[in-house]
Amino acid sequence: MEKLIIGHFYPDLLNLYGDRGNVLALMRRATLRGIEVEVKRISIGDDVKNGDIDIGFIGGGQDSEQNIMADDMKNVKGDVIKQMIEDGVVFLTVCGGYQMLGQYYQEHGGNRIECLGALPHYTIGEKERFINDTVYELELNGQTIKVAGFENHSGRTYLGEGEKPFMKVIKGHGNNGEDGLEGCVYKNTYGTYSHGSLLPKNPAITDMLLELALKRKYGEDYELPELSTEVEDLARKQALDYIEGRQGIQQ
Amino acid sequence: MGLKAPAHAAALITKGILRIMGRGATTLPGKVAIKMCPDIINKCARGKKIITITGTNGKTTTTHMITSMLRSLGYEVVTNVSGANLASGIATTFLCEKPSRGADPEKTVYVLETDEAAFARIAKDLQPKVCVVTNLFRDQLDRYGELTHTRDLIAKGIDATSAKIVLNADDSLVASMGKTRAERSSYFGISLKTMLENNQLHPNNTILEASSDAAFCPECKVRYNYNARSFGHLGDYKCPSCGFSTPAKRFELSSDASGNPSDIGFPFDINDTKNDMSCELNLKIAGSHNLYNTCAAVSAVTTFLENDREEEAEIFENVCKAQENVEAAFGRMEKIAVGNKYICILLVKNPVGLDRSLSFVAQSSDADSLMLVLNSNTADGKDVSWIWDVDFESKVDDLPQNIYVSGERYGDMMLRVAYSGRTVDGYGTLEYATTLLKGALADCPDGKCIYILPNYTAMLDLRGRLVKELKLKDFWKD
Repeated sequence: MEKLIIGHFYPDLLNLYGDRGNVLALMRRATLRGIEVEVKRISIGDDVKNGDIDIGFIGGGQDSEQNIMADDMKNVKGDVIKQMIEDGVVFLTVCGGYQMLGQYYQEHGGNRIECLGALPHYTIGEKERFINDTVYELELNGQTIKVAGFENHSGRTYLGEGEKPFMKVIKGHGNNGEDGLEGCVYKNTYGTYSHGSLLPKNPAITDMLLELALKRKYGEDYELPELSTEVEDLARKQALDYIEGRQGIQQ
Repeated sequence: MGLKAPAHAAALITKGILRIMGRGATTLPGKVAIKMCPDIINKCARGKKIITITGTNGKTTTTHMITSMLRSLGYEVVTNVSGANLASGIATTFLCEKPSRGADPEKTVYVLETDEAAFARIAKDLQPKVCVVTNLFRDQLDRYGELTHTRDLIAKGIDATSAKIVLNADDSLVASMGKTRAERSSYFGISLKTMLENNQLHPNNTILEASSDAAFCPECKVRYNYNARSFGHLGDYKCPSCGFSTPAKRFELSSDASGNPSDIGFPFDINDTKNDMSCELNLKIAGSHNLYNTCAAVSAVTTFLENDREEEAEIFENVCKAQENVEAAFGRMEKIAVGNKYICILLVKNPVGLDRSLSFVAQSSDADSLMLVLNSNTADGKDVSWIWDVDFESKVDDLPQNIYVSGERYGDMMLRVAYSGRTVDGYGTLEYATTLLKGALADCPDGKCIYILPNYTAMLDLRGRLVKELKLKDFWKD
């Protein structure tokens, strides 16, 4: 088998709130299945072409760091990223990364910052920040899965035409605190506000992304080998117990 | 006099009541006094000799070292209880901690650990003689916000004073504060040669680089070039655009890369490049990060003395001699005997703290077990995702054979350990922690140590349980 290539965009600038854990989760659940993985760091000054990567990951950063990479993303890598998204390359984008794929970010009380425009959503900055644990529901392969996470954002994101929500909010605010929706899906690109990190505790999402990428690589008949989710399930259950207030002595 | 006297009285009464109620009186008396007399800190600080210590990590240890060294040098020192580093805690220190009777005010120094944001607000009132900035790392971002913002806050505080500033040269964020304040800045750090030798002897073998702070020059938006690295973003750096680079260090630390800084007594040199003098020292509080803290303390005390009594020769040598008397026993890196075995609690509050503590445990020859305890209360930061920013992956092979996890978020920590490639030997909420610990102690060979790494509220909770359930004496300080 060929290597699975994960493209980690701007890892030295967009690396807040455990973004690294998502890349680690993809690496781990692929490696344990005997799939060789390579992580390409794609930051300012690094070249990337359509076809170079199987899964792209874009995290979030501090404002000052997002200011540093914003030009590069729009003017240097923007067209390639758009092309990859249209071609169905698998992408996971979190918080700042999710916002930046959209149309624009309207700062609280002023400035409208043009974003990449790869996806139709847009974001409005508000004064109040949503900082809390989150629980979402994800429909996946005919099953409803509870997802545990954490959100920390002042932007309210509104989905556009052709985009579907990624998950439904059970606890927390999600995209905007109004419509009960969390994240976006467009072709094989996923956006979310969920930190946590998202993937380690929610291996169904990790596996979904891996399978999508590997099907693209080896054809629709490819099936991801079975792999236990025991330790992840235990961690998710404990986090959900904590978040939903089912506390007490646990061992 | 204004309201100072009644505010002072109110503070003392509050302190008395808290003591009677059996509660620590580290911040509330100051809070009451500030309410009654908002400029109480200004009034109290007037005419006093003050050293402030701020920065993300190492404040408490550096404050402890400076205090101890000044006392050895014959100074009367008043200092705050660690953690009581906001305006309220500092006001409490002024009002409730007095120099001993008959102490010469000329030989009395207030050594104050100061929270970064609080420093910006109260530096003007304190008018310190010396300000130390240890480092700036990502902390609980949901509470503190951006790092460059924190840097600007500290700089604003400094500009409200005429203090000498002692800066970590190896931290680009900290060192950049000296750019426009060159005449009153002096720098400390680790020598390039030592860093290079360390990098060569201990190459970073991680499968995925740790999340880094300050990889780019914030002014030019260009990536720094590093000649050598210390840890985190500390190292020998240069911006290829504006040319800003690790400033020349006045106080430069060198050590033998083949030694183990996790051992107390680890030998190293500090060179005062201004006077071309060098001192041989031994590490009093173990851990490679304490090399920085020691260097910061030596720099701060030397700088203070030069300004306090400039006629005296051999200041630097005397300061180095005073470092010999720094005691390890103050609750950090302290080993507590339980029968013939030991436990050691290392408070970890943020990614770099956990990274350094894991390295310390990995290098400790007496480590039998590791226990990670994770809570997510407001004081800890509600978000536990920071544990994924830490590079466990490069250290797991050297961590002790047994790993336990506890705390309200033990599930997250268990998974963090599992994803680094290790399995935990036991887990459970805090109610279960002492049971886990008893089991670990039973299996621990004599003379070996169980290292416990809790975050803040986990530590407070655990300490109570150790006293109550394991009958240990509570001799930890915050």
